[in-house]
Amino acid sequence: MALSEVHDPPARLGRRRWLRLDLTTPTLLGLPLAWLVVFFLAPIAIVAAYSFDVYSLNPGPHGFTLTAWHDFLHSSVYLRLFWKSVKLSLTVSAIIVLLAYPLAYYLALSGTKRKYILLLLLIAPFLTSYLLRVLAWKVILGNQGAVNTFLFWTGLRSPDHPLSQLLYSRFAVMLVLGYIWLPFVALPIFVSLESLDRRLLEAASDLGASRLQAFRRVTLPLSLPGVVAAFLFVFIPTLGEFVTPSLVGGASGYLYGNQIVDLFGTGFPDWETGSVLAIFLLGVVGALTIVFARFLQPGEVTVD
Amino acid sequence: MDEHDRAEQRLSRERLLKLAAAAGGAGLLGGRIGTAQAALDWLNAESGRLQVLDWAGYGNDGGQPMFAQYVKTHPNNKPQFTYMTNEADALAKIHAGLKPDLFRPYVGWVKYFATSGLVQPWDPKQIPNFKQLNPFMVKAGQYKGKQYGIPDDWGFDAILYRSDKVHPKARSWGLLFDERYKGRIAWFDDPVENLTIAGLYLGFKNPWNQTDAQLKRSQKLLISKKHLVRMIWSSETEMDNAFASGDIWIALAWPNDWVQMRKKKLKVVYMHPKEKPIAWVGMFMLLKGTPRPHLAHAYVNAWSSKRSAKWLEDNYGYGHANTHARPSSSDLLRALQLTNPKAVTLPNAYLDRDVPRRAVYAKLWEEVKAS
Repeated sequence: MALSEVHDPPARLGRRRWLRLDLTTPTLLGLPLAWLVVFFLAPIAIVAAYSFDVYSLNPGPHGFTLTAWHDFLHSSVYLRLFWKSVKLSLTVSAIIVLLAYPLAYYLALSGTKRKYILLLLLIAPFLTSYLLRVLAWKVILGNQGAVNTFLFWTGLRSPDHPLSQLLYSRFAVMLVLGYIWLPFVALPIFVSLESLDRRLLEAASDLGASRLQAFRRVTLPLSLPGVVAAFLFVFIPTLGEFVTPSLVGGASGYLYGNQIVDLFGTGFPDWETGSVLAIFLLGVVGALTIVFARFLQPGEVTVD
Repeated sequence: MDEHDRAEQRLSRERLLKLAAAAGGAGLLGGRIGTAQAALDWLNAESGRLQVLDWAGYGNDGGQPMFAQYVKTHPNNKPQFTYMTNEADALAKIHAGLKPDLFRPYVGWVKYFATSGLVQPWDPKQIPNFKQLNPFMVKAGQYKGKQYGIPDDWGFDAILYRSDKVHPKARSWGLLFDERYKGRIAWFDDPVENLTIAGLYLGFKNPWNQTDAQLKRSQKLLISKKHLVRMIWSSETEMDNAFASGDIWIALAWPNDWVQMRKKKLKVVYMHPKEKPIAWVGMFMLLKGTPRPHLAHAYVNAWSSKRSAKWLEDNYGYGHANTHARPSSSDLLRALQLTNPKAVTLPNAYLDRDVPRRAVYAKLWEEVKAS
């Protein structure tokens, strides 16, 4: 009996393993998948249904129509607003990636013993609420805020002529978004740089590469997935951002995300158009993620 | 349903049984005593907490003195609040299944809700303080002779400006579009208000029901002047802060904002434009089929009292429909013209009203903001 158990034919062993896997996989994946379907895919499907007017909370005749999509795609207003948001998000993402890279580089490669303390300091603002961090900027940027008070004190500006474009402007939105998302950008770059095999840098040096050449040919390509991930971490959420613009943006800092919120929430409910804008944003973000995903593969080091 | 609610419900059932027996006796006696007792029984039969859909600041987040009398007399049916950010939000919440016993849209929505089938008229006889309410506002709450809205808080939409910085060319809504004050102007984020103001400024006969061509002109005006605007406010506190700090000098504002700025020692003028300001009035509305109609009437009666009205005027700076109430602040008395019961109507002001094509207005306003 025992012998037969020991000498089970390979095919049967394989089948048992397959059966075990068959039960384990759904058990492990079932809950997250169900979560994803119920709380992510289903709501998206409902919003999509709103956009075609096949479903609505409001009473009245409803039926499949492409009117809202047609109006949106032929509306220069909404598309211009979308483009304005894209430009702003791209600018913010690019600037903070450029700012965060040297910071992450120093933390990861300088060999300082205090790097984790410095990293903690970097992410320390996360210990306070998002809203509080945004509102703090109103105290700093306002007409009687810290910046203007300093300018009055130095005599660079008179109290009658404060720098008024600091707050309630597109600049304010970019500044605050940059501040909010900087740690998100620094962390993935830090991780990719820290996992860098230092022997590659030594090899580059042995082969006669200068520090700049080693950076350009070795460090940068290998950290590129982290850079791309960091860029996406910022670009995607800021494209649909509405809290920061509504608090510090004023009329000129109004973005695409604000428009979606307003179409759903203020005035007269226009969930149909709001849904079109939301689904369009989702589509664009999805497409961009797919395009950028290939850059998330580990980079290659070129050797001449 | 929590334990507290269940206890309240049990209590109500017990009381209901006792009162039903008492009502039977009263029925035998007949006459007025019996009718009054029956009404009392009905009131007591309504159980659970009163469900109120209201604006932030009017619930347990600061507005308690305005319904304190109700809580005192109905300790087992205290109000439970859900908050609305605007009428559209209230509409969406009700369509989504929320069942408030009463809620508070503003006067321009009375006809919309009255014809929507979502609300039922009030019985003014059950609101003893009703007779103290401003008759012009009471009339504005009616639709086809029935009282769908009970007026309460009110105010004006007019222009607040810094008199030490701003020198208007005319007493006109045009100050909101004045190129000289680029970056110092605040508009109010409302889907109807701005197009209506543009219509008033452009001299249209009925700005609340503009033709397509008129709406196009109004929208064009707003888009062409939007670059002058620093902020489009939806939070009064946010606008007050920006005004006080000098970020803005001109704003579409309410009387209370003028009072607040004067308290901060700013030189300000609250200007009623020659095209006339717009008066707004909050209207309590009763949801159709509510299981607590009498409790809702009792709640609105508390809100309509002279004491509540004075508290609202003193603490929130809004007017109140109770004509007997007077605020402590003479500034507010003046800004609201409280000694003139006709202040909210012509020739002094336009009382806000139904907008037959509200959805069109809203769409055009959203395009202005997006432009």
